Amino acid sequence: MTEKKLNPVLSWIKLHKTEIGAYCGLLLCIVLFSIVPPLKGKSIWAPDKLATLMSNVIVMALLSVGAVFVYAMGNMDVSIGKQVGLYATIIVALGNSTGSLIPGILVSLVIAIIIGAMNGAIGELLHIHPVVSSVAFMMALGGISTVTYNGLGSRNVGLTSIDYHLFKSPWLMLAALVVEVIIITYLFNYTKYGKYAKSIGANPVAAEQSGINLVKYKVISYIIMGFCVVLAALFQMGFTGSASDSTGTGFEMNVMVALILGGMPLNGGMRSKVSCAVVGSFTLGLLAVGLPLIGVKPNQVFIIKAIIFLVVVLITCRKKSGTLPR
Amino acid sequence: MEQNIVFRAKALRKEFGPTVALKGVDFELRPGEIRGLVGENGSGKSTIMSIAAGMQGATAGEMEYMGELWHPHTMVEAQKAGISMILQEANTIPGVSVAQNIFSGRENEFSKLGLINMPKMYRAADDLLRSFGIDHIRGRDPIDIHTFEDRKLVELVRCVDENTRILVVDETTTALSHTGREILYRLIHKMADEGKSVVFVSHDMDEILEQCSCLTVLRDGEIIGTLSREEMDAPDAVQRIRYMMVGREIGEKYYREDYDSSCSDNVALELKNLSFGPIKDFSLELREGEIVGIGGLSGCGMHEIGRAAYGLEKLRSGQVLRKGKPVTSCLKAIDMEIGYISKNRDSEALILEAPIQNNIVLPSLRSLVKLSYISPRSEKKMSDREIDAFRIKCGSGRQWVNTLSGGNKQKVSFGKWTARDSQVIIMDCPTRGVDIGVKQAMYTMIEDMKKQGKAILMISEELSELIGMADRLIIMKDFEVKKEFARSPELKQTDIIEYMI
Repeated sequence: MTEKKLNPVLSWIKLHKTEIGAYCGLLLCIVLFSIVPPLKGKSIWAPDKLATLMSNVIVMALLSVGAVFVYAMGNMDVSIGKQVGLYATIIVALGNSTGSLIPGILVSLVIAIIIGAMNGAIGELLHIHPVVSSVAFMMALGGISTVTYNGLGSRNVGLTSIDYHLFKSPWLMLAALVVEVIIITYLFNYTKYGKYAKSIGANPVAAEQSGINLVKYKVISYIIMGFCVVLAALFQMGFTGSASDSTGTGFEMNVMVALILGGMPLNGGMRSKVSCAVVGSFTLGLLAVGLPLIGVKPNQVFIIKAIIFLVVVLITCRKKSGTLPR
Repeated sequence: MEQNIVFRAKALRKEFGPTVALKGVDFELRPGEIRGLVGENGSGKSTIMSIAAGMQGATAGEMEYMGELWHPHTMVEAQKAGISMILQEANTIPGVSVAQNIFSGRENEFSKLGLINMPKMYRAADDLLRSFGIDHIRGRDPIDIHTFEDRKLVELVRCVDENTRILVVDETTTALSHTGREILYRLIHKMADEGKSVVFVSHDMDEILEQCSCLTVLRDGEIIGTLSREEMDAPDAVQRIRYMMVGREIGEKYYREDYDSSCSDNVALELKNLSFGPIKDFSLELREGEIVGIGGLSGCGMHEIGRAAYGLEKLRSGQVLRKGKPVTSCLKAIDMEIGYISKNRDSEALILEAPIQNNIVLPSLRSLVKLSYISPRSEKKMSDREIDAFRIKCGSGRQWVNTLSGGNKQKVSFGKWTARDSQVIIMDCPTRGVDIGVKQAMYTMIEDMKKQGKAILMISEELSELIGMADRLIIMKDFEVKKEFARSPELKQTDIIEYMI
């Protein structure tokens, strides 16, 4: 009767193989980077490394967790990196002129709502893939940032009068992430917003015929992500107390990589989970900080990351072939 | 006697997680036979042949084909070796020509130095289509201008060639037009005469009895028995086969038995002078507690009427009204307690890549919201109620819809709207690809809905069910209403068909 006992276990493993893979990857990173660097007299858990790690991981996790809504719909947004740069700049600039961070945050939130609404609605109303409008935003925001920093005559701006050391505390970062994860998990799993986003990703036609207003809920999903981008920008800015024309560069791709490493299906749907974002961000952050510590040269880190990424994609995202074209 | 067997399956077993689809069946196929394969949804009839045709692997057991061990890994491999299968759902590549569809994967036959000689391919496609007796489709045509029915024929042409030794037709005829069926029947008889084998999977008992040379009945993943042609001709054959399929007497009651077509005077849904697409000035009043049937050949415009009634079509003029308010989109329609079961079950009515529960509660989610919170328990309660009421065959509500059989999928799309407590239900081909046991249950359900005062618009290609169920039957042809019949025991299919063709 072992067969009967084994079967549920096996089928459970089969069903959850992406999650198992994602968690194993994270575990492997933790074990590897805890054991090897001390042999060379370094430690990834040393306070300074930990702070770098946290700032890396937390900003990425704040972004990825927010992006879960958009990725669950099978969409992606490549403008979030530039958005982080813009919001960080606004928060610094308005912080210097008003003496408080609040006005900058509020202005950023308003812009996030506008960009989110447009990214969500344009794709649906004009029947183009939403990634296209986010590409347009990426280019436009990149242009705005170049013009602004040219006008300033400097490549970065820093907070002058406001004390930002609070944002360097790993505990505050962790607390912010925990709060965001709780809120997003609630929205994603226990409200109609998340359930609708997953349904849209799985089958938009059936979703609409079941009463989901595609434009409305796409816009809401993008705005939820926009809020998280503002929060991430705040911590990105807070770590150094400054913003520059390169703040946020490449974040959009890191978010995508983190989500995939965490087991998020690229075409969205019911298998999307908030945990993918957290697990993936931590794996990616550990790789970034840990690889140099185990002796990988900085210029080789990218290649190793690329190889890991490819392997993960081959394991998790490959589709079953063998049926005739459908 | 010579052991003349083309294909043999020994102790074939297939499991989908906890569900056992095939419990070790033995199946043999001889050359020159047209084998009917019947059974209820989920009995495993499609599963056997899909394993033989390389669509999926078996859990245990072995197969022999032409005397050798047979282990196809893909459908392409099986097709090259001579086992072709035509599936129930659409399987053509959109956006390219008919010829490209027919010769997909065989482009090398037409290419020189890496360039494909398209005129040559078009000519070859035309010749091939004509050899099948299909004159109205041309190789040059973009596939998308053709109807679902004609695309099915293109698939047929693609699947069958001189190498084909076994052709599997999986519930395809429900998707074919009248002429399409004739073409298919002619083809399978020709193939049988040439000593090839055909396996015919269908729910249409008349068709099976007419076309097949022998018949195998499955139930719950086991072969119950095989009937010879003589046994199929016996007077009580239909009852006997039904009994074998269901495992119990299903009784005489099938359709509604009453001929009381009275209903409330309250109009539940009014289609007022609708004009859209090729349809001009279509009007219809649907009352509470009334079943209105719309019949006709597919392509007569009746499916579009269903879509329009649900607010899915852009109207040129006219209005769809419920309680005096216009239905302008499907979102409004749902708010006004209208439900719609699309005939494209897998692409429109259901989210296949999702659990049963998510599908059932989706239109009703808003009613479960308490201060933005949707409790998983209330979702489960709602979906379990429907799973019980429809006796959906599944492990639990968490099972994914794409693991269900056709009839059970259809039950899920019914359940969506009964869970929502919709008062007007538009059903387009509600029993398509559903077996008799489930059909009987659905007819009873539809009758109960009528008794509860719900208004039902039933669009169907099956005349017998329309005659059996509808209070009023509207026959359409060429996008126009040709005739309206009232419910009556005297109404016969033959009286109606002349208005359809």
